[in-house]
Amino acid sequence: MALIQTVDLTKVYGKGETAVMALDHVNLSVEAGEFVAVMGPSGCGKSTLLHLMGGLDRPTSGRVVLDGADLTKLDDTRLTEVRRRKIGFVFQFYNLIPVLNAVENAALPLTLDGRTPGDARVKAAQWLKLVGVDNRQANLPDQLSGGQQQRVAIARALVAEPTLILADEPTGNLDSRAGDEIARLLRQVADEWGRAVLMVTHDPRIAAYADRIVFLKDGRVVDETRLNAGTSQFAADIKEKVEAL
Amino acid sequence: MSVRHALLGLLAQRSRHGYELRAAFEALVGGEQNWDVKPAQIYTTLDRLEEAQLVEPQAVEQSGGPEKRIYGITTAGQAELDYWLASPTQPEHQRDEFFLKLMLALVIEGAQPRKVIQIQRGALYQVLHAITLQRNRADPKTALAQILYLDKVVMHLEADLRWLDMIEARLDDVRRQPLPEPEARPRGRPRKVTE
Repeated sequence: MALIQTVDLTKVYGKGETAVMALDHVNLSVEAGEFVAVMGPSGCGKSTLLHLMGGLDRPTSGRVVLDGADLTKLDDTRLTEVRRRKIGFVFQFYNLIPVLNAVENAALPLTLDGRTPGDARVKAAQWLKLVGVDNRQANLPDQLSGGQQQRVAIARALVAEPTLILADEPTGNLDSRAGDEIARLLRQVADEWGRAVLMVTHDPRIAAYADRIVFLKDGRVVDETRLNAGTSQFAADIKEKVEAL
Repeated sequence: MSVRHALLGLLAQRSRHGYELRAAFEALVGGEQNWDVKPAQIYTTLDRLEEAQLVEPQAVEQSGGPEKRIYGITTAGQAELDYWLASPTQPEHQRDEFFLKLMLALVIEGAQPRKVIQIQRGALYQVLHAITLQRNRADPKTALAQILYLDKVVMHLEADLRWLDMIEARLDDVRRQPLPEPEARPRGRPRKVTE
């Protein structure tokens, strides 16, 4: 049973002759504990897909079903609540609040959800420890390296114990070593903490950490590759594709 | 001839028998999944090295099972090894089978070059995934050489994948151009020019 599933997800920007189809009947699902990468040339609809799956935007048609609930049918208040409790977001530029320290940033989703500051801080500190920035709790974002800021952002994404993590180019602003460490951490988020992770990236090395890669082009899924299959499965996949030629 | 020289190098380190050589080679490259050398190849290579007098049997070890010949490197072998170590290595990018496949898929009617690219990309990603996990499991305190070797493989795969993206993005342009044809050269003896 998929944790999140899109059904004929379609997004059109503009109207009439100038209309642009950013997503064209996309069907995609991610299981709990699965790490999926979305790749494709710029303008292929990667970010639109992520925004629609995260309830940050609404589709023109089609559905997004998260944990059995159709996000497209929820009103704005309910949608905000689902976003805060069930989905964690990780962005390219971390999007940390500059005047809050690491633990306050990581605690934000809980604070916004009405949890007591003390309770929120304890939870945030636990996640900072799990993602490896335990010793940076009192630092402001500009006192942290890019890799450390992204770790704080991942702690913030996980603090409300969401089932789904959506990451938009999470290594796009990092050097290759820090990028690798973040990819390894996202792998851990799926493997050890059982979250469904969907990551948009254009970096082949980072995408290779995933269990599956979905290739988008002109708003459509044009190819899909399972990476974690054993050699026999690999051979079977290739055979299937060759036979489809 | 890298296996040949690898064996010379391992014998320059110390004398060993065939079985030990295979194990040492495997350890060097970080496991047979990276570079599989069959026992038969080790023994035929040893025979050829012996014929060329680059190695020589030094002793026979007999403990229970079949006898094992222990080989050592000769002076000539050491010279060959020194020459090899001091020579540059040719990069292996000249003969790309995939390139041939793609070019031919472009000109053969009914072939699907875009699909050919997709299949290749999927296969490269599967290898990259496996190598990435293997690299991350290796302990930098004890297996640094293997890590650096795997990094090389990762970087090459990354380059191949970027190249595939580049080709895919310009596939329609490539398609519009004819496949390079050989220059029409006159055959046989040049004709006599009579004035």
